[in-house]
Amino acid sequence: MTSLHQASIAESNLQIMEARPSISIERSSAEKHNVMGMSGALSSSLAVLPTPLEETYNKLPDSPLAFVEEGLMSGPLTHSGHLNNNGAVGHIFSSSPGYSTALHHSSLSPHEKHSRNAHIISHSSTNMATLPPFSSNSGPLPSKPSRHFPNENSASWHTDSVPSFLDFPANTSIDSGRVESGACTIMASEEYCKQNDWQEWADQLISDDDTLTSNLNDLLADNVPDPEPKVSKPSLQLPGHPSEGHQQLPASSEENCAGAAPSSSAKSAPSKPRMRWTPELHEAFVDAVNQLGGSERATPKGVLKLMKVEGLTIYHVKSHLQKYRTARYRPDSSEGVSEKKTSSIEEMASLDLRTGIDITEALRLQMVVQKQLHEQLEIQRNLQLRIEEQGRYLQMMFEKQCKPETEMFKASLSTAENPSGSSLDAMQDVPAKSASMVDNYKPGPDQAIGSTKVVEGSVEIGGKHDSPKTQLSENPKQHANANDDAAQASKRQRKDE
Amino acid sequence: MKFGKRLKQQIQDSLPEWRDKFLSYKELKKLVKLISAAPTRRNESWRGRNESLEYGKAESDFVYLLDIEIDKFNGFFMEQEEEFVIRHENLKQKIKRVVDLWGPNGIHPSEENYKEEMEKIRKAIVDFHGEMVLLVNYSNINYTGLAKILKKYDKRTGGLLRLPFIQKVLVQPFFTTDIISNLVKECESIIDTVFPAEEAADRAKEAIVVAGEGIFRNTVKALLTMQEIRKGSSTQSPFSLPPLNLPDSDLIQSIQLNAAVPIV
Repeated sequence: MTSLHQASIAESNLQIMEARPSISIERSSAEKHNVMGMSGALSSSLAVLPTPLEETYNKLPDSPLAFVEEGLMSGPLTHSGHLNNNGAVGHIFSSSPGYSTALHHSSLSPHEKHSRNAHIISHSSTNMATLPPFSSNSGPLPSKPSRHFPNENSASWHTDSVPSFLDFPANTSIDSGRVESGACTIMASEEYCKQNDWQEWADQLISDDDTLTSNLNDLLADNVPDPEPKVSKPSLQLPGHPSEGHQQLPASSEENCAGAAPSSSAKSAPSKPRMRWTPELHEAFVDAVNQLGGSERATPKGVLKLMKVEGLTIYHVKSHLQKYRTARYRPDSSEGVSEKKTSSIEEMASLDLRTGIDITEALRLQMVVQKQLHEQLEIQRNLQLRIEEQGRYLQMMFEKQCKPETEMFKASLSTAENPSGSSLDAMQDVPAKSASMVDNYKPGPDQAIGSTKVVEGSVEIGGKHDSPKTQLSENPKQHANANDDAAQASKRQRKDE
Repeated sequence: MKFGKRLKQQIQDSLPEWRDKFLSYKELKKLVKLISAAPTRRNESWRGRNESLEYGKAESDFVYLLDIEIDKFNGFFMEQEEEFVIRHENLKQKIKRVVDLWGPNGIHPSEENYKEEMEKIRKAIVDFHGEMVLLVNYSNINYTGLAKILKKYDKRTGGLLRLPFIQKVLVQPFFTTDIISNLVKECESIIDTVFPAEEAADRAKEAIVVAGEGIFRNTVKALLTMQEIRKGSSTQSPFSLPPLNLPDSDLIQSIQLNAAVPIV
């Protein structure tokens, strides 16, 4: 079984490698060369991955793997036959799950089919469900690919996002490959995946088999029917998660696994959910660890149980625990700052000797600079957010200009939820007109600076909700009517939360 | 190319393990050039189905690559974030331990030990603060790069990729830096408690400080780079950021940087 596995993995690796360069734009061979460079770089970084995979399969004792495969093979899932590929594919594509969105939007040329198939398989069954509709739409789709972004991508972003880590619960996996690749990723990217870790994981797998079957059922129930990404807030509230973006990220796949409330990202179920460790979550972690007698004594399983955080998997806990242990064991450098970063003493000396300034003073100076940098970064970020909001608002405006009927007004209010979608249509339909709109709006450098300076000023003052309104009133061209403002303001408030 | 150069500089000035985690701006720019050499969508109605399909494919390939970049950012960012959360907690605990053990009201008051440990802690915490700020800087610079690339793409191919795509980016983990920002602020208040009260009002403004290797150097450079990037957009538009207005810019300038020594 193992050798078969290896062979098929190697094969699928090769094919994926070959498939990858084809992604480059096929123009002249000279041009191709340039692009190959990049995709070459991509494939070379990916090339690192398959080898550890193979190594892992070498090391892996047969029994747990067989168990996993058997358990899953006998499951009702129809694509169990593709399990062999999943290890490699799931892993490789883990670093590029965004590909699924690309796949959805492009018409796939035949030679990409293999990677596409493999990719479909590596994601959940819901992906399987979603794909067929797209392939039939391959005609009109490519001409308007961006239309689908707000809908599909928002969901797949969240779960598809980051790869490498530890993903998933010993208790759910459609494909053993994914689980393996999770562990493999630890090896590849973390360099501390030891044999005993693997064993431990394998033990966990075996011992948790009642949860396995129940969660498998949950997984089936949740995943299969739901290809529609809803942008609903998941019920899972990881402690202290204020923002919407990353709340969905770690929540979604765990929700799938835990069989909790319907998640918006059901479609790419347990791909590579990365846990976002907030301070609150970490605090809970530390409490649990302390209860269990310290970082050395505590086991991932114990901590997981104590923490009682829904959706948290043992993999998350494991990796976090490892990080925690490492950090604790470098108390001499005062908090785990490695020597690579230049010993603190040297730096102090260099500051000290050359200037005669007291170390403390030097540190204060450093703080001044750092504080400033941070402040500027925050300002810049807020500006960037405002700019994009403005852009969205403008689009709405254009759309309304193009279609002045009152129904369109109502439509644009509801489009406030999803501006990019239909406003893009408007843009496409009347490109000339919107171009002229842009010219009208683009008031010239002075005014642009003026309006953005206003934003900066108000941001600096610190008013979050006030600034958008100020912005609006400053720029008369933007100013439509009160209702629009209200819609926009309420939209902004939503966004700000 | 200005941004590209600045980005490169920034990468050089970052910590070694960060260097390959930045946006592949140059490559993406090349890609945009390539794509723009292909048929644009403007005359879509004239084109055969094949060509618009090709264009669509080019765009989705481009998006695919951007997605990879974003995943890269997200992965790195969240990993660092996790580490920072851990280190932050550890620092707090360490301070508590030192104070409880060797502090004036501690179990075993020892001024010498206390002072020594506190010095180390101060150094560590200031560096830690710097690292976190650098991470925020990392996030920002990559965002900026993405925004620029998208703008180039739209400009060159007549596409409408930028706006919707950037909306997605805005909600990405690597761009939602609230956790880190909060840690930074907490750190600042901890630092205030750990540092002795300030005596001289003017601090070290006049002095010329040579920033050696390490975090301080990085943060200074980051700030300077930011200033440069923001000097003024050649393609000023409603989407451009205004030039940076640093209050203490002369202070920053006065900090000479040790150019020659590479960060190993």
